[in-house]
Amino acid sequence: MALVIEAEGLSKRYGETVAVDSLDLAVPGGALFGLLGPNGSGKSTTIRMLTGQAKPSAGRARVLGVDVAADPVGVRRLVGIIPEQETPPSFLTAAEYLRFVSAVRDFAGGEKAAQWWFDFLDFGDKRDVLCKDLSRGTRQKLMFAQAFLHSPRLALIDEPLVNFDPIVQHQVKEFLVEYVKRGNTVFLSTHILEVAEEICTGYAVLHRGRLLATGRPDELREGGRHLSDVFLDLVRRERGHA
Amino acid sequence: MRDLFVAMFREEWRIHAVLFGDAVFALLPVLVGAMAFMGTFLVPLVNRALPAGDLASIVHALYLLLGVMVGGFGLVGNEVMNRRFGQASFVAYAARTLPLSERQIFSAFVAKDTVYYLLFWVLPVVAGVAVASPFVGLPPGAVLCLLVSLPLSFLSGLSGLFLVTTVWSRSRAAFAVLAAVAVIAAGASVRATGGIPPFPPLALYRSFSWAVLAGTGIGIGAGFGVSLLLFEPRSPGGEHRHPDRFTGLLRRLHALPYPALTARDLLDLWRSGGGVGQVLFSLVLPLGLCWFLLSLLGPVLPPYGVLTLFSVLAGVLASTIYTWLTAFDSPGAYACLPVAPGDLIRSKLGLFALLHPVPAAIVLGAAVLSGNGPYAAPALGLMLGVSAWSAGIMVYLAGLSPNLLVYDPRVLFTYLFAVGLPAAGLIVLDLLDPWSGLAALLLVVPAVLAVRAAVHRWEEAEIFLS
Ligand SMILES: Nc1ncnc2c1ncn2[C@@H]1O[C@H](COP(=O)(O)OP(=O)(O)OP(=O)(O)O)[C@@H](O)[C@H]1O
Ligand SMILES: [Mg+2]
Repeated sequence: MALVIEAEGLSKRYGETVAVDSLDLAVPGGALFGLLGPNGSGKSTTIRMLTGQAKPSAGRARVLGVDVAADPVGVRRLVGIIPEQETPPSFLTAAEYLRFVSAVRDFAGGEKAAQWWFDFLDFGDKRDVLCKDLSRGTRQKLMFAQAFLHSPRLALIDEPLVNFDPIVQHQVKEFLVEYVKRGNTVFLSTHILEVAEEICTGYAVLHRGRLLATGRPDELREGGRHLSDVFLDLVRRERGHA
Repeated sequence: MRDLFVAMFREEWRIHAVLFGDAVFALLPVLVGAMAFMGTFLVPLVNRALPAGDLASIVHALYLLLGVMVGGFGLVGNEVMNRRFGQASFVAYAARTLPLSERQIFSAFVAKDTVYYLLFWVLPVVAGVAVASPFVGLPPGAVLCLLVSLPLSFLSGLSGLFLVTTVWSRSRAAFAVLAAVAVIAAGASVRATGGIPPFPPLALYRSFSWAVLAGTGIGIGAGFGVSLLLFEPRSPGGEHRHPDRFTGLLRRLHALPYPALTARDLLDLWRSGGGVGQVLFSLVLPLGLCWFLLSLLGPVLPPYGVLTLFSVLAGVLASTIYTWLTAFDSPGAYACLPVAPGDLIRSKLGLFALLHPVPAAIVLGAAVLSGNGPYAAPALGLMLGVSAWSAGIMVYLAGLSPNLLVYDPRVLFTYLFAVGLPAAGLIVLDLLDPWSGLAALLLVVPAVLAVRAAVHRWEEAEIFLS
């Protein structure tokens, strides 16, 4: 299938810090692609660059065929995004927030989609509660609904599972697997390796902003080893070099 | 408690130092002092034009106003904590996990604000005046008095506003009673003294007395004390539920370019407790004080002169409506949506324009009540033109974070210069011919250009990241 994310030499420097270092990525359509790496390895920065929230210091990226630097808003119109920190506006209710998102996205089916998400993640009783009064997990549910409301062909989601209880985590993982089966693509960052191992169809491992490895799970997992062992080996080897 | 205060103060310094660099930030008091130093040389000139002693009243009233403004910033309604601490202070936020009561945190926050403004806006002025005093023949005693009376003016404003806002958030009826008592007392004392109501810090400056000092201290302390007692740390009721207001607003605002963004901002403003309260404490109260101050200048101005100056000041104050719409909104909330920084700026300016009937009504009321009804049109022109222009400059200089103005001296002085120059020109013109106020409307043209440049400028910045 055609590539939905293409990045060449994508880099981001913050002063002395090199957050992402000449990253090359090619994510095919229909993938559930996991971006793995320890804390501070550049996962969130990569997602922000791919969605036009941060400007690359060097390199370029195309997302769904759109040049991100040339049309960042166009990219955000096409994709769904869950940012690293959930930030629904404080003084809208959950239902109003989803209506707001539909209106900004000019999406007519918002009402039905919102109802589906309230039912699916079982938080319909919080529809009329101000976002600032919602629990962390409920806010994260809302961010999930917001990202998938318009059924985007590509969703870029940053650590989407961290605030969920095991039941919701399970439900969400199933949803993601189903979602890509329908031909969509999900690009997800996580450091929960079990999650990646369980559901992802492709990986990239980042360390200190550099790409250590990329491929399909069977390629990465030489000789039937667990992904977590491979990951730890890769990172340790890298740290030994430094 | 003391540690908390120190931590908050350090944080305040660090936030600004990181944003602008230690040196620039530390320069602020030096600049303020230098301005006061130069300003002091005008004292003999101004005193010749004004009835004796009135410059002192104006300076003290300005500090009273500063206190009111500092206290008024976001301190409205039940959302005191949210609005003041939510984004503003990390230490205050973290402190909630410590074994400290919210009241203690609140007190530390008040203390920090007080010390910060004393250090940066009060002491430098006194220092500047002190250095200049030998040259203009100001007695050293007067300078010493300033050292006491200016901070007290500032604290009176702060304490008074805290009192008024906590009472407001507790009970609107009690607030009405308090306001009525204050107005009657002020009116009675004006009638009794035939002029300025006796303001204790000013009386202290005029002739120092320990009794007045003690009385003022007790009054200020009582204001803080009562507001602390009445202070409600958390909005009651836990989960706030609201029926859908967004859809209706969206429909009503559909003619605007960004109805969804504007509807969201309106709901934010309204529900954060900022609707009526914000108008009252950020526009009506300061403008009332301004009118009073300006009326002191009445005798040396043409009959409509007070209205002219008032309209220009109202314009500058009206431009801060833009800060109401940005102060509690974080651009990060839009990071996942197809919205560009320029869209945000434009949508906020749309709402900014939509809210302008409020200051317009105030100016109109002032014109009619002061018997200058015939000059209402140029007064409105002055207010609208100045407001548009200062907002344009503010947006250009500070984008979606207009509080940069208060903290970055470079930005502040650029702003003051860019706004002050045309404002001064307009005042002179208008004093010569009251109808020339209408010319201020021409400022809308450069204001639009400034907004265009601002959109371009802030599109380039990574405002979605913090
Ligand atoms: N706005 C910023 N300013 C300065 N440095 C930044 C900024 N954002 C990220 N960094 C730095 O870039 C590096 C990568 O950060 P990033 O948030 O992308 O990591 P991450 O892989 O998402 O980490 P985590 O797993 O903790 O979420 C870190 O060293 C971080 O400190
Ligand atoms: Mg991250």
